[in-house]
Amino acid sequence: MTKRLEHKLGAVILFLALMGGAAFLSDFDLRLAILSILAAISVIGLYFAFGLAGMIHLAQAAFVGIGAYASALAAQQLHVSPWIGLVVGVIAAALAGALLAYPMHRTRSHYLALTTVGFSVSFEVIIRNWTSVTGGYDGLGAIPLLRLDTAMRSELEFFYICVAVLAACVVAAMLLRASPFGRALIAVRDDELAAAASGIDIARLKTKAFILCSAYGGLSGALYAHYGGFISPDDFGLARAIMLLSMLIVGGEFSILGAIVGAFFLTYLPEWLRFIGGGYMAVFGLFMLAVLIVMPKGIVGSLGAWLVPRVARSR
Amino acid sequence: MDAAFQQLMQLLLNGIAVGCIYAIMAISVQLAYETTGVVNFATGQLVMIGAVVGASFALSGRLGVGEIYVMTLASMVAIGLVFAVTVYWPLQSRSISTVVIGTIAVGIFLQNIALIFFGPLPAKGFSPVGDSVLNILGVVVPAHTLFASAATFILIGGLYCLLHYTSIGIQMRAIAQDVEVARLMGIRTTLVLAFTWALTWVFAGIGGLLLAPLWLVDVDVGDSVALKAFAAAIIGGFGSIPGAIVGGLLVGLNETLSAAYISTKYKDVLVFGLMIAFLLFKPRGIFGESVNERG
Repeated sequence: MTKRLEHKLGAVILFLALMGGAAFLSDFDLRLAILSILAAISVIGLYFAFGLAGMIHLAQAAFVGIGAYASALAAQQLHVSPWIGLVVGVIAAALAGALLAYPMHRTRSHYLALTTVGFSVSFEVIIRNWTSVTGGYDGLGAIPLLRLDTAMRSELEFFYICVAVLAACVVAAMLLRASPFGRALIAVRDDELAAAASGIDIARLKTKAFILCSAYGGLSGALYAHYGGFISPDDFGLARAIMLLSMLIVGGEFSILGAIVGAFFLTYLPEWLRFIGGGYMAVFGLFMLAVLIVMPKGIVGSLGAWLVPRVARSR
Repeated sequence: MDAAFQQLMQLLLNGIAVGCIYAIMAISVQLAYETTGVVNFATGQLVMIGAVVGASFALSGRLGVGEIYVMTLASMVAIGLVFAVTVYWPLQSRSISTVVIGTIAVGIFLQNIALIFFGPLPAKGFSPVGDSVLNILGVVVPAHTLFASAATFILIGGLYCLLHYTSIGIQMRAIAQDVEVARLMGIRTTLVLAFTWALTWVFAGIGGLLLAPLWLVDVDVGDSVALKAFAAAIIGGFGSIPGAIVGGLLVGLNETLSAAYISTKYKDVLVFGLMIAFLLFKPRGIFGESVNERG
């Protein structure tokens, strides 16, 4: 018991040190960290839809986009504060998720993957061409920024906002996972037939998981819109959706920590591979394959399996 | 004959040619799905590879059209076998969604490797019938549209014969029914699956070779083409060859006609709207698989 307390205390101190250390980072480093956190928020959503409910979800970027555009438009057209904009973004994405998930509850496996692909591509085409509302290819600019009016550099201030939101998202996700809803999802992941036999309404459960996933995506998108002040269709297409799902798989599809690790890892990877130049994405494809084949449980799962016995033995 | 009617006829012929090519790609998707349960998300990149490899053989100048086709398809067989050995077999025992995501990774890899080797410029299409045009009762069409349609029907006829009258085809169908039982019956499933993957790659490659003269095919064409192939497979019905033909033609005609008469910008949305409607309300498609969904 005291050992666990020690661990927790250690973690808190480490966290505070990291947060204090962030003040010494350059704007560029903070920007990467912020983008990683924003990605992590939408990938936690995917943890529910794909990691637990097993739905191959290739439209999360579109829900990020719905959150971003809804929040940006609310702030621009209705002149609400960006904070209210965040709420609007989450609600818009969750509603869109419900609209797609409800008819989808009958379709499963590859059909579901293809439905989300169709949705993803259609969404991108629509925001590219609905110029009067979305600004078309040029995107939306001059979106009101989310500020706390502190004396800090804007990047640093937004970094702290993002850390706080991510922490809230993680806590919410952990509570949800421990709730009857989360336990039912885990039962479905382990054995769908057995779960159905014990009275779980699988279609309903998956619909809920999908809506939850969309809400996380919407929050991430709304934050993104009020961070850079500019959004364009390029950020919300199928390629980005594939990237978000890859983050979960690389990090470890069965853990919330995996979602965060994967988001950071794949956001930083282009920087680390910059010396390769144009071939970066080819290496990325190979890397994905290697993770799938060699680390079936992702970075977190594999490292955990490797570390835990050693730590236990050393005691 | 008035101009509007002439235009309509040209659009119809064009739509049919494009639709036939989509049908070939849809069959490529279906072959893999039927025997392995995997929806191959790299299909579009395979089509692209077929087109750019064909074009670069053509650029080298010394080869005849027949040789270009043969060498391109031989390359596709080789890459297909490499895929089966390096990606499919290691992942075979894992969940279907893992393999599906593996095919996405393969697609990303192929697209960017192609970008490095062939550059971002569109492949110049070439056709066995050249750039000639035919004048049929006042309707002017490129000869290639007729060639593509004819080639499609010959190929599909060939595939039908392969599946029903040859030993390997019957083994493929046995595996599609139940891979475990097929293995117990003494079918060497590993070999047959490798053959299936090679065939998948070849069909996609032929799709690329036929598509290149109609469109500008560059290394980014993969995703949009793959989606049309999926749409064709879904609308027609997964697991049905007549379904692939009907689905392909519907998607091709829908795309060509709606681009001309409704909106160029939204033509893809109309196609995917149709696909999503089928997915949601009639997921088995027109000719639909009757039973299980795997994975």
